[in-house]
Amino acid sequence: MKPSNHSIVSMMLTIDRRYIFVLIALATLIPLLNPINLPIVISPEVRAVYDHMESLPEGAVFLLSMDFDPASKPEVYPQAISLLRHAFKKNMKVIGMTLVVTGTGMAEEVIATVAEDMGKINGIDYTFLGWRPGASAVILSMGQDLAGTFPQDHYGTPIDELFVMEHVKTLRDVDYAVSLAAGFPGIDEWYIYGKDKYQFELGGGSTAVMAPGLYPRLRGGQINGLIGGLRGAAEYEKLLDQSGKAMAGMDAQSATHFVIIVLVILCNVFYAISRQQKRGWRRT
Amino acid sequence: MQYYVPHPASEALLTSASNWMIIIGGFALILGLVSLIQLHMNRIQRNVEGWGYSGVLFAAMFVMVIAGILAGGENLDSERELTGYGWTYSYAMVPLQGTMFSLLAFFVASAAYRAFRARTKEAALLLVAAILMMWGRVPLGEYLWAFSGDIAQWILNVINSSVRRAILIGVSLGMIALSIKIIFGIERMYLGGKKE
Repeated sequence: MKPSNHSIVSMMLTIDRRYIFVLIALATLIPLLNPINLPIVISPEVRAVYDHMESLPEGAVFLLSMDFDPASKPEVYPQAISLLRHAFKKNMKVIGMTLVVTGTGMAEEVIATVAEDMGKINGIDYTFLGWRPGASAVILSMGQDLAGTFPQDHYGTPIDELFVMEHVKTLRDVDYAVSLAAGFPGIDEWYIYGKDKYQFELGGGSTAVMAPGLYPRLRGGQINGLIGGLRGAAEYEKLLDQSGKAMAGMDAQSATHFVIIVLVILCNVFYAISRQQKRGWRRT
Repeated sequence: MQYYVPHPASEALLTSASNWMIIIGGFALILGLVSLIQLHMNRIQRNVEGWGYSGVLFAAMFVMVIAGILAGGENLDSERELTGYGWTYSYAMVPLQGTMFSLLAFFVASAAYRAFRARTKEAALLLVAAILMMWGRVPLGEYLWAFSGDIAQWILNVINSSVRRAILIGVSLGMIALSIKIIFGIERMYLGGKKE
């Protein structure tokens, strides 16, 4: 007896993918519209970044390299907001920059917006250096001579005239740097060409898909902490006690993960049944 | 060499070399742009399938360049309002790239449903690890089963890290071997030569 192509099992195994798309869309939209604010557990790697920021004194130099493009905005942008809020709250000197040309507009927007919210002044409390081509060469060059690499900030002011850059001549003068990355160039380049040579503390933030690849650096102490994906951003928001877009998105992420888990389990149940049916047919 | 010999002379050489690399990086952008234009001009001239997309690329490029020139490369004007360039970036490029990336969630779910089948013991192991990770990395998972977060963390810290390290060491050794072959002229493929 031949297996029926119209059986429920074969139908479920070859289900039209548009049904799956609808399920994912609903799992994303419903929690976003009706959040239940599930409790978020803080991971050690995110706490490490937070604790290090907390340990820095007022006036410490904090460099935030926003090495991500608009595609990674939903995950990494909330990380940038949280880190900038924390740095401004602690009255640190903040230097913003990017190694990704398509991220320049976003990086400028986030630093200017958060600074305005926190009452910080460009040139005195923070600066945005913008983008330079060369990726790893830019990091190397900043380690040798920061003013040589970025003679002017993003708005055309010579960086020698900026109060915030008064005692910052090379990367050796940076107390803490964090690279928020979504690929190349990113945390790996900041470690290899920056921290390893110029001896400053380095932390990282990345998309969730990149985060597992950075755990060897984390475990080896090459980066002191890691904010991974939207979950990491939500944890940081919780540590700052400031609810933002990341915390709002966690319910949606929870729901989509569970929809995928249920789909995968269902698919395997149907697959196991189909295999058993095939064996039965072969025997008969 | 400079890494191991931090002498002022080698420091000066590194400064000069890294500045040159930035300048070359700038020219590489021009090269990339010329190459892109050539490729898509060719597609339009030959009327290959999907040539219209190349036209869209030129139109988008033209709009961005003109908007950028008119705005002087600035996203915001003196009154902190979005310039044409800033508007195109914020309301066209950012949402378009975001949309492309967010489509992944749908395709990943569909692919997971079709491909994540326990056909072999190894596939079953991968399947269990994936479910544990998806379960333990979201608040709902930890809420339903508090220990799941620790399991996910252990997978990341121990299994994932050790395997990644092994891969990294292997790749690094391969790169060192290849570099030595290039330095001594044994490997010449990068010059466009054929394998001897």
